[in-house]
Amino acid sequence: MTADVQTHRAQVLGVKGLVKHYGAHTVVDDVSFHIGAGETYGLLGPNGAGKTTIISMVSGLIPADAGSIELAGSAMTPASTRVKGHIGLVPQELAIYPDLTAKENLLFFGRLQGLHGKELKHRTGDVLELIGLADRAGEQTKKFSGGMKRRLNIGIGLLHRPTLLILDEPTVGVDPQSRNSILESVEGLATEGMAVLYTTHYMEEAERLCDRIAIIDEGRIQAEGTRGELVELTGGVDRIDLHGSGNTGAAATALRRLPGVQHVDGDASGLTLTVHNGPGLLAPIVAEAGGAGMALSSVEIVRPDLESVFLHLTGKALRD
Amino acid sequence: MRSIFGIAIVEVRLFLRDRSNIFFVFIFPLLLILLLGSQFGANSGQARVALSGGSGTGLAKALSEQLKEDGVQVSSAGAAAVRDQLSRGRADVGIFISDDDSAAFAAGQPADLEVLMASQSAAQAVLQEVRASIQAVSTERRQRSLLESAGVGAPEAATALEQAKESVQQPRVELVDTNDATQVFQGLGRFDLGAAQQLLLFVFLSSLTGAATLIKARRLGVIARVMAGPVSSWQALAGQALGRFGIAAVQGGYIMLGTALLFGVDWGDPLPAGIILAFFCAVSAAAAMVVGSVMDNDAAASGVGVGLGLVLAGLGGSMVPPEFFSETLQAVSRATPHRWAYDAFADIQRHDGTLADILPQLGVLAAMALVLLALGSFLLQRSLSRPL
Repeated sequence: MTADVQTHRAQVLGVKGLVKHYGAHTVVDDVSFHIGAGETYGLLGPNGAGKTTIISMVSGLIPADAGSIELAGSAMTPASTRVKGHIGLVPQELAIYPDLTAKENLLFFGRLQGLHGKELKHRTGDVLELIGLADRAGEQTKKFSGGMKRRLNIGIGLLHRPTLLILDEPTVGVDPQSRNSILESVEGLATEGMAVLYTTHYMEEAERLCDRIAIIDEGRIQAEGTRGELVELTGGVDRIDLHGSGNTGAAATALRRLPGVQHVDGDASGLTLTVHNGPGLLAPIVAEAGGAGMALSSVEIVRPDLESVFLHLTGKALRD
Repeated sequence: MRSIFGIAIVEVRLFLRDRSNIFFVFIFPLLLILLLGSQFGANSGQARVALSGGSGTGLAKALSEQLKEDGVQVSSAGAAAVRDQLSRGRADVGIFISDDDSAAFAAGQPADLEVLMASQSAAQAVLQEVRASIQAVSTERRQRSLLESAGVGAPEAATALEQAKESVQQPRVELVDTNDATQVFQGLGRFDLGAAQQLLLFVFLSSLTGAATLIKARRLGVIARVMAGPVSSWQALAGQALGRFGIAAVQGGYIMLGTALLFGVDWGDPLPAGIILAFFCAVSAAAAMVVGSVMDNDAAASGVGVGLGLVLAGLGGSMVPPEFFSETLQAVSRATPHRWAYDAFADIQRHDGTLADILPQLGVLAAMALVLLALGSFLLQRSLSRPL
């Protein structure tokens, strides 16, 4: 997918200069992006980067302090009740009633979206099939596993076939099998022409699903583009992950002084470095870390990826 | 409107899925009304006289008939049982008829009846009624004796006296209790006052539990998800409030019907009584929405709800009748919805008030409900900015 192709898509969501303050703290700072029909757009950033606040403003849940949001050709604010019908929100928390059955949850949210009668019944059945819960439709959701609840959470967002589906960290706390199932479902949505806004702090998910990605940190978009465009920003640097224990703090200090090392970041369990010519620098890095008191258990050289991009742009590892 | 009803239906469904609600909403209030009514309730207003001895004699028969004719409730029992009834307040006056009394009455001679009065305040008035009844029996017996001594046969004398009684309007004694409290509560049955008070207390308390369910829905993210759809904060809140209103209205209606059938509570004209209940339920549900939007902890909200419900009920006259309040407390109590609903019920229960008579109270209750709903809607929208 290239940027040129994106410009030909009909725009579904346009966000310009979005700002949000909580007291003196600016949590979203001049954020702008747009999403076209059939496009999956990712907001990639660590916890606390401002992703959920952006989504809350785009969904009309909270007002923006500055900037504008245009959804399906109409301005979006908390008062734009009609425009909100274009959105399918899948929040990070499991926004379902545990004392209702899966089917009752779907029927409830479907009615709120204006569905009724046979259409509601058919859509509910279709979604239950899609999320693999047709045989558990009559069970109270409090008896479901975490993965089943997550699938239902997504199913509710899909029920009314929204123009824009917003998924806020939909795989947090999900087992690998359910996670893969969720990702496959999302991949299928874009092919049906649905615009998808996907937030995550998992680099692999953003790489797998998103046509374009915005790397966000401390409320600002640090970079935006396709995966290839973003990786080019690193200038071809490699990432080296050092796993181990001991005095990682001293090792980080020593490694920062080593020529060719751009960034060092990490915690007590390991360090992440961005370097030019990773294979060539591997030996002195291992020696320097060991000399500073770090006991290495494994070393890994990773070719440039979104993690490297994030580290390159912010000086921090994405996992933080 | 469809979204409002959708939210309300789910609210009711969730309420019904919690079995513990059934006891607290439907069984406990009736038990409390029964307990309070039987312990503290006023009697039905009818004088109660217990007769002892003289069974089957002319004196006992004449006295019993005269008392009943005068509107007194008459019962018969042994001397010990009558004394027990008097000491427990189950009878106002006891009349003890000895064999000598019966014989003297049959012979047309003066009889010396023993009369005992219970300690409750109403007994004094009943004693006056009993004296009047005994006087009437005594007069009739004397008249009959005079006719018989003048040579008129006993049956003819009885017939002549009966005809005379019908042709002449007998003097009546109307007893008026000048005690302020007695006058205020005149016309109320044993359970009437307590039932109205407990109705208001329980409906408000039950409604305030809706605050906790709103907070739970916010914590689950359901409210945010609802409002991310084509539903305004006002509609989301109105739906929640409508659900709580429905639950409160069913509970209130159940208490009214149950107390009427089980304890003979007179709620007055059903239409205005139902309207008072509906308006009060609306205020209660709206108050729950405000608490549920302001607070973020459902357990704390439940505690605050119970505390607030009891304080407002106390101030509003649902524990002690506000007629006993001082002037200052009277003014304070008018800030509570309970007081306005209490006054409205008092109008229709005690004074046969009509819908027009209670319009001021209904107006205040409607205004309270609207203000609280608007405030709740504003606070709910603001609550979305707060992490839970």
